[in-house]
Amino acid sequence: MKMHKIAEVEVQHDIMVANRKLARKNQKMLDNNQVYAVDVVGAIGSGKTTLIEALIDSMDYNIGVIAGDVISKYDAGRFENHEVPVVGLNTGKECHLDAHLVEHAFHDLPLGDIDLLFIENVGNLICPVDFELGSHMRMVVISVTEGDDTVEKHPLIFKDADLVVINKVDLADAVGADSDKMVSDVKQLNPDVQVIKTSLKTEKGFDEVKKAIEIFINENS
Amino acid sequence: MHELSMAEAIVETVLDVAEKNDAQEIVEVTIEVGELTMLNPEQVKFLLGVLAEDTLLEGAEIIIEEVPVEIKCRSCEFTGLANTDGSDHYLAIVLCPKCDERNVEILKGRECNVKTIKIEKSDENA
Ligand SMILES: Nc1nc2c(ncn2[C@@H]2O[C@H](COP(=O)(O)OP(=O)(O)OP(=O)(O)O)[C@@H](O)[C@H]2O)c(=O)[nH]1
Ligand SMILES: [Mg+2]
Ligand SMILES: [Zn+2]
Ligand SMILES: [Zn+2]
Ligand SMILES: [Zn+2]
Ligand SMILES: [Zn+2]
Repeated sequence: MKMHKIAEVEVQHDIMVANRKLARKNQKMLDNNQVYAVDVVGAIGSGKTTLIEALIDSMDYNIGVIAGDVISKYDAGRFENHEVPVVGLNTGKECHLDAHLVEHAFHDLPLGDIDLLFIENVGNLICPVDFELGSHMRMVVISVTEGDDTVEKHPLIFKDADLVVINKVDLADAVGADSDKMVSDVKQLNPDVQVIKTSLKTEKGFDEVKKAIEIFINENS
Repeated sequence: MHELSMAEAIVETVLDVAEKNDAQEIVEVTIEVGELTMLNPEQVKFLLGVLAEDTLLEGAEIIIEEVPVEIKCRSCEFTGLANTDGSDHYLAIVLCPKCDERNVEILKGRECNVKTIKIEKSDENA
């Protein structure tokens, strides 16, 4: 007669740690190709695509873009109009990009021809927080139209941000939002981070964002 | 939310370990889920049940141990459990319970760890 026994097996495999390991591999791949990568996260409709488009048009780098989108390839199409290499990542129901998805996108990008890569994450202030992608910096883009309590409601994404953009300040009065409060809320969570108020409509603050990213790139090289 | 992709990753891990250990069946899986992962344990369990169909994992008991958030305050050195006021606003978590500053480091609560599995295998020595 065949006997069966029950055995307990120690696994200790953390899915989050596995993602971080993959992210580190991604960063090595970027470094080997001398690509500097910026993960752009933020609320839905805060101006992520508009900001990246303006940076593409005004920066002296060979830029590439990974555009994460829940269903459409709409943003990817917008970037293509700027004649840069673009990969659209359809995340399906997913609310964030992860290192594995980004690794797939690398295969469809001419990494050797790119020196600055923008990765537009899915519009979401909660889910992307702990999913590193392998980027060198993370820029968080929010806008006053989400309300001036956005930072307080979603503190975690601001804690690890390298640069924070508070966009659409041209609309602050119209929506009754106090953009200075948003700046000081970020500063309380992350005292050393640079916070820039912008309007991509009037171009206010845009040069500052550009310079801030350039400083990060130069510090890395 | 991202329960589905996490559940898929859990299933992949569990089946991989089970196969390497010559399991004939998986009886039990214990997973640690941090409070900050935004994963709803009930939903994770449900999805694991669906994904387990026709695999070694089918019928296994899924035990989810929730891991509370632990923080360290950079202002007053407090280390310990964070406040969780049960609301969907996470401000309480990043407030130091001792000095009320918001400059805290998160030590625990971000994990989604497949801790152990119990498997059934045939006993060669029996
Ligand atoms: N008034 C005003 N409108 C802006 C500003 N920046 C962007 N917009 C508008 O806001 C809308 C959303 O901008 P997008 O750049 O598509 O925002 P997004 O963050 O990429 O959006 P998703 O990818 O869908 O999450 C567009 O209609 C932009 O023209 C701004 O500074 N002021
Ligand atoms: Mg966009
Ligand atoms: Zn994911
Ligand atoms: Zn794959
Ligand atoms: Zn999610
Ligand atoms: Zn404190």
